[in-house]
Amino acid sequence: MQDKIRNFSIIAHIDHGKSTLADRLLQFTGALSDREMREQFLDKMDLEREKGITIKLQPVRLKYQARNGEEYILNLIDTPGHVDFTYEVSRSLASCEGALLVVDASQGIEAQTLANVYLAMDLNLEIIGAVNKIDLPGAQPDLVKQEMENVLGLDNEEILPISAKLGTGIEEVLETIVEQIPPPKGDEDAPLQAMIFDSYFDSYKGAISYIRVFSGSLRKGDIIRMMSSGKEFEVAEIGVLSPYMTEVESLSAGEVGYLAAGIKNVKDTRVGDTITQSVRSADTALPGYQEVKPMVYCGLYPLENNDFERLRDALDRLKLNDASLFYEPESSDALGFGFRCGFLGLLHLEIIRERLEREYDLSLLATAPSVVYKILLTDGSELYVQNPTHWPSAQKTEQVMEPYVKASIMAPNDYVGAIMELCQEKRGSFITMEYLTSQRVMITYKLPLSEILYDFFDALKSRTRGYASLDYEIIGYEASDLVKLDIMLNGEVVDALSFIAHNDRAYYQARAIVDKLRRIIPRQMYEVVIQAAIGSKIIARESVKAMRKDVLAKCYGGDITRKKKLLEKQKEGKKKMKQIGRVEVPKDAFMTVMNIEDD
Amino acid sequence: MISIINNSTTLGMYIHIPFCIKKCNYCDFFSLPLQDSSYLDKYTQALINEIKVRGQQMPSVQLESIYLGGGTPSLLNRRQLKSILQTVTNEFVLLPGAEVSLEANPATLDNVKLAQMEEVGINRLSLGVQSFFDDELALLGRVHNAKAVMKTIELLHAQGWKNFNLDLIYGLPGQFLDKWMQSLKRAVDCSPSHLSVYLLQLEEETPMGKDVADGWLKMLDEDDEWYMFDQAMEYLEGKEFEHYEISNFCKPGYECHHNLRYWQAEEYLGLGAGAVSFIEGSRYVNEPHLKQYVDALSTGEQWPIDELEHMSGRELMIDGLILGLRLCAGIDLEKFKQRFGVDITSEYKEIIAYYRSNGLLNIVNGHLKFTKAGYFLSNQVLYQFIT
Repeated sequence: MQDKIRNFSIIAHIDHGKSTLADRLLQFTGALSDREMREQFLDKMDLEREKGITIKLQPVRLKYQARNGEEYILNLIDTPGHVDFTYEVSRSLASCEGALLVVDASQGIEAQTLANVYLAMDLNLEIIGAVNKIDLPGAQPDLVKQEMENVLGLDNEEILPISAKLGTGIEEVLETIVEQIPPPKGDEDAPLQAMIFDSYFDSYKGAISYIRVFSGSLRKGDIIRMMSSGKEFEVAEIGVLSPYMTEVESLSAGEVGYLAAGIKNVKDTRVGDTITQSVRSADTALPGYQEVKPMVYCGLYPLENNDFERLRDALDRLKLNDASLFYEPESSDALGFGFRCGFLGLLHLEIIRERLEREYDLSLLATAPSVVYKILLTDGSELYVQNPTHWPSAQKTEQVMEPYVKASIMAPNDYVGAIMELCQEKRGSFITMEYLTSQRVMITYKLPLSEILYDFFDALKSRTRGYASLDYEIIGYEASDLVKLDIMLNGEVVDALSFIAHNDRAYYQARAIVDKLRRIIPRQMYEVVIQAAIGSKIIARESVKAMRKDVLAKCYGGDITRKKKLLEKQKEGKKKMKQIGRVEVPKDAFMTVMNIEDD
Repeated sequence: MISIINNSTTLGMYIHIPFCIKKCNYCDFFSLPLQDSSYLDKYTQALINEIKVRGQQMPSVQLESIYLGGGTPSLLNRRQLKSILQTVTNEFVLLPGAEVSLEANPATLDNVKLAQMEEVGINRLSLGVQSFFDDELALLGRVHNAKAVMKTIELLHAQGWKNFNLDLIYGLPGQFLDKWMQSLKRAVDCSPSHLSVYLLQLEEETPMGKDVADGWLKMLDEDDEWYMFDQAMEYLEGKEFEHYEISNFCKPGYECHHNLRYWQAEEYLGLGAGAVSFIEGSRYVNEPHLKQYVDALSTGEQWPIDELEHMSGRELMIDGLILGLRLCAGIDLEKFKQRFGVDITSEYKEIIAYYRSNGLLNIVNGHLKFTKAGYFLSNQVLYQFIT
C-alpha cells in the first residue's frame, strides 16, 4: 500500500501561482468536477481569496492513474507562504517526502522560497523544480532554470516548464511526483506515531487535526494521547480530504488525513505534536516539536468601551482556531480596557485584526506593535517586556537586550547599494553577500527585529522598485542601548503611545512622531500640546492650535436637509476618534505613529 | 404629494427664479445662465400654473411673506413679475403688512426697474453686492463692479427705499482683514436696513472649489476668518446693527421676516424648479430639472415632487433646536417646551453644562443661546443634538 502513496508540498512565493496549480491538479485528477470547481478552491479563508494571497492551502488527497497503469494516492500538504509561519512550514514539510518548488518564470526565486527550500533540503525531501507562467510575455524560463540550478543545485534539464493557468505541463508534474518522490516508509505494526501539521476548529466536531501517520495505525474509537501534554481523547472520526471530508476505517503509516476526537480547543492539538495510542504508546515523540511563541505584541482596544466583552468573545473564538494567538486583558489609562495580544508576526497581526473587525463587527484601536525585550535587572533577575508601559526605570536596569534576526534579501545586483543603505539605517550589521547568478545577489544582514517590524519591507520594496524579497529568522537576544520614549498630550503621558527607541535615534524619532501627531490630530476646542519625553526630559514639542471655525455660514429653507446631513457626517466622524483626557485622537494614530518614514 | 390643507395656516412663500446672467464662481445654488430671455416667459407661465394648483390645494392658507430668490429674480420684467404676484394674491390670502422680498443683482437694476418693483408690490430688496472691490468681485465671478453697486444704491435712496439688504462675502482667498473691513464700512455707509455677511464656504464642485482643491487658490487660515467675523460683529454693533442670526445683522425692527421663519422652524411653501417646501412635518423638493418642471406644469397636470424627509416629532424638535440656535436671541425654553414637549435643559443637560462651562453656550432670561465666541464654533455643539 505504502508504495502507492506520495506525500508532497508545494513551495512557492506569493503570486507565483500556487493556488492555480493546486486547482489544476484537482481538476486533472478528477477530484473535482468542473461544476464544483471555483477558483482557488483550497484557499480556506475569504480573506485569502479576497486578498489574492494564500497563507495556506487545505491539504488534499488526489487519486492519480499514472502512465504506468497504476493508481497512486497523492497527498498535497501545503506550506504557508509567509515568514510569520516558518514553524508551521517546517512541520508541513516534515510530513512529506518531497516538495514541488514552483518559481515564476518572470520573477525568479524569492528569498522566502529559498528559505523554505533550504528547510525542505534539511529534512531530506526530494525537490522537484517547476517554472510556472511560461505563457506570460515577460517569461524567461531558461534564465530562471539556470538560477535554480546555480542556487539550489537542481538539474537544469529536469526542471519542468509549466503554465498552471493554461494547464500546460500538469501531467508531467504528476508523473514526476510519482517517479521521483519516494513512497513513505514506516512500520504499520509499530506503536502509533502521527504528527499534527495543522488544526482548525469546527463548531460541530470540535478541533480537527490534519495528521500524517509515521508508524502504526489509527482507528475510530481508539484512545489517543497528545505526547506534549499527555492529554487523552477518544477518536470520534478519521478520514481523508478528497477534497471533501470522507470518513475512512483506518489511517496507517504513510497516510495523511484528518482526525476528530471531541477536542474542545485547538490548543490541545498543537502543530508539531505527536499523537500516539494510550495503550501501546510510542516511546518517543517525533522530532521537531516546539511551542510557538508570539514574536510581536500589540494592544487591541475596542473603540466603544462597552464592546470589551464582545472583543473577549471574538478573541476566544478565533483562538479556538489559532493556537498561536495569545491574549490577555490589560488596561491603559488612555484607552481603557483591552487586550495585549501576541502574534507570530505582522501579517498574523493584520489578519487577526481584520477578522475581528470584519467577522465580529468590532471597531478596534491597535497600538504600535512591539517586540519582546529582555531586561536584566540590577537585582540579578530577568524581565521580558512586550509592552512599553512595563519598562523598568533606569535605576533598576542593568542591561537591555532585544531580539535580532538574520535577514536574507534577494535582489538584482543594481540595488545592492540601496539595500545596504537601508539596512545600515535600520541598525543592521552586514554578514555576507553572494551572487546567485551574474545579475542576482543575496545579501545577509543581522538586524534588530524591531527595526524590520514597522516599515522595513515597504521601504525595501520601494527602494528596489519591488524587486527585492526578504526572509528572516530569529537568532536570539543581544544587548542594545534602548530607551523608553513617552508621548504626552497636554502634559499627560499617553501610555498607549509610548514606545522603545534606540538611544542614538530617540531624538530624531521623537521629533518625527511629534510632528506626525501634530498633522493627524485635528484642531479642537483647546490648544493641544504634544511632547515627547525620555523620563522627565522633554525632547520634542509641537502644538495643534485651538479650533476657531466650525460653522455653517448659510442655512436657509432649501439648505436645511443638506446641512443636517453635514452635521450627521460630523457626528459619524467622531466615532473614528478616541477621547484621551480632553483630546480627541484619530484611532489610526496609535498604529500609524510608528510609520514615520511614509510621508 | 401634499394633501389639501384645510386648517387655516400661515406660511411663508418662496419663489425660485433659477436664472442668472452668468453663474458665479462660488455658487452651488441651483441656477442656470440665461441664454434666451423668451424662456423666462415659459418659466413664468409654469410658475403661475404651479401657484394655481397650490392655491387650490391650500384654500385657506395665509401668507405672511413672499420671497423671490434665485438665481436672479431681478431678471424678470415688469409683466412677468406682476403676473406672478397677481396670481399669488388671487390664489392665496396675503396678510396685510406682509414682507415681499426680491433678490437683485445690482447690475440688473435701473430707475425704471426699481419703480416697477415698487409698483408690483415688492417692499424689500436684497442686493448681492458681495464686495466693494473690483478685484474681489472678479475673483468671485460677479457680473457687476463696485461702481454699479454705488449707482444702484444712489437710485434706491433717491426713490426712497428704506428696507433693503446688502449681501457681503468675507474670507476670500488672499483677502486681508483691512480690505474686508473697508468693504463692510462702505456697505454700512450705504445705510442699508439689513446686512448679510457670509463666510466664503466652497463646495467642491464649484469653479472656485476646484481651484482650491487643485492648489490654485488657498483658503484663509481659520484664525484669520474668525478675526474677520469678530471684527465685523464689533464694528456693526458700534453702528447700531443688531446681530440677530449667525450671519445676519439689521437695524432694529428690520429682521427679514421670511428668513426668520426658517430659523424658527416654521412652515414654508417653495415654488419653482428645485424649490423646497416644509409642510406638516415633511420637506419636499420640486423637480429641479428646468425643462421637466416647465413641461409638467405647462400641461396643467401636477408637477413632479419628491419628499426629501419626513420627520418624527423628535426630529422636528431637533430641527427646532439646531435652527433656533442660529438666532442670536436663542431659544425661548418655555415656548420650546410648549411647542415640542421637550425640556431642552434636562434632555441635553450634560451637553449644555459642558458648553456653558467652556463659554460657547449661555442661558439668559430663559433663553438658550450661543455666546459671541460660540457662533463660529456652533457646529461643535449642534452636531451633538443630531441623533
